[in-house]
Amino acid sequence: MSDRMHACALAPAPRGPALAPPAVPQLVARGNRYPLYQLGNPQLRVFRTNFFIQLVRPGTAQPEDTVQFRIPMEMTRVDLRNYLERIYNVPVAAVRTRVQHGSNRKRDYRNARVKKPDYKVAYVQLAHGQTFTFPDLFPEKEQSPDGSPGDEDIQDKLLEEQQRRQSRDPRRGGVPDWFGL
Amino acid sequence: MAAASFGVLCRKALTGLKVSRSLISPQALASTGLLHTTLSRKGLEEFFDDPKNWGEEKVKSGASWTCQQLRNKSNEDLHKLWYVLLKERNMLLTLEQEAKRQKLPMPSPERLEKVIDSMDALDKVVQEREDALRLLQTGQEKARPGAWRRDIFGRIIWHKFKQWPIPWYLNKRYNRKRFFAMPYVERFVRLRLEKQARIEARKKSLEKKKEKFLQKKFPHLSEAQKSSLV
Repeated sequence: MSDRMHACALAPAPRGPALAPPAVPQLVARGNRYPLYQLGNPQLRVFRTNFFIQLVRPGTAQPEDTVQFRIPMEMTRVDLRNYLERIYNVPVAAVRTRVQHGSNRKRDYRNARVKKPDYKVAYVQLAHGQTFTFPDLFPEKEQSPDGSPGDEDIQDKLLEEQQRRQSRDPRRGGVPDWFGL
Repeated sequence: MAAASFGVLCRKALTGLKVSRSLISPQALASTGLLHTTLSRKGLEEFFDDPKNWGEEKVKSGASWTCQQLRNKSNEDLHKLWYVLLKERNMLLTLEQEAKRQKLPMPSPERLEKVIDSMDALDKVVQEREDALRLLQTGQEKARPGAWRRDIFGRIIWHKFKQWPIPWYLNKRYNRKRFFAMPYVERFVRLRLEKQARIEARKKSLEKKKEKFLQKKFPHLSEAQKSSLV
């Protein structure tokens, strides 16, 4: 419960004619120090989140109700729960997070270390017995019938025109061009 | 439409009878072309593009929002647009990561740049409105309070204030910071000034040298520039 108290709540996404409060100082979620909280303060609300998350295909096999995300380092599991529930209407049962260390071992041409950025991974379990499988976003599509005939026609026309230019005058009866006046 | 009505029926059946999986047959749903068994139609599907665009090489998209276009919109509209752009950005980031994973090119990566530009423009417009409101209401130029102070190295810096639960005179960490410079620092301040003066003098002399060289090489052009009315 204390976790939920201290995390900042996401203001509900607008449904219908919602009035964005003009006088509230604009608070950005990421890259910002949250204002100090003291007992009795109102719940901190962030309008217009700065957090961007990506759904990723799990490397190792996960249970069917688990969805894997890459989230910014500053985001907590409570933040992610609010994010998914309010912006995406996804019912969340549980969230677990871990920080993945990006390798600093590779070296470039001058032996300086090249750092791959660290990122936070979140495993979200969906509620109400829902399941999710990561779809195939790059299915092999056969060549569409609209594209190829058009291309082939244009190519055929070009070939015909070239042959017409190169063919000799039929009235000469097959005699090469370098004969003549 | 059939899928939607089926979904509605499922939702009602589930909430009524509290039966978890027996009513939904995976085969029936798979035949309608859905990804997953879910109650909310538009849940995790919003992380992915329209299924027609999967496997395409290019996806058409419009231009990014400009600052002037956004200034014409109300606060409500900007708020809604922010979330529309946020969802689009999440979708494109998901696609980018999957493309890297599959070692295939991402279709139309310029969409992500356009969305990022639009979001930056939106943020800029909102900040402008916020600044204007604050100036009118309170006269404060900056949102975060601060002050010009001399640091321990003798430099004049804009010190931004932090929020503390205790007053400054009880704050051990704050009191360890020194906002004054001892007399032996004056010499280094003079050296720094000299360094800056030398840099500026070098720049000016370089400019003069270039001007002189051009004047020598193209004497006819300088008078033409002076006399042109453009």
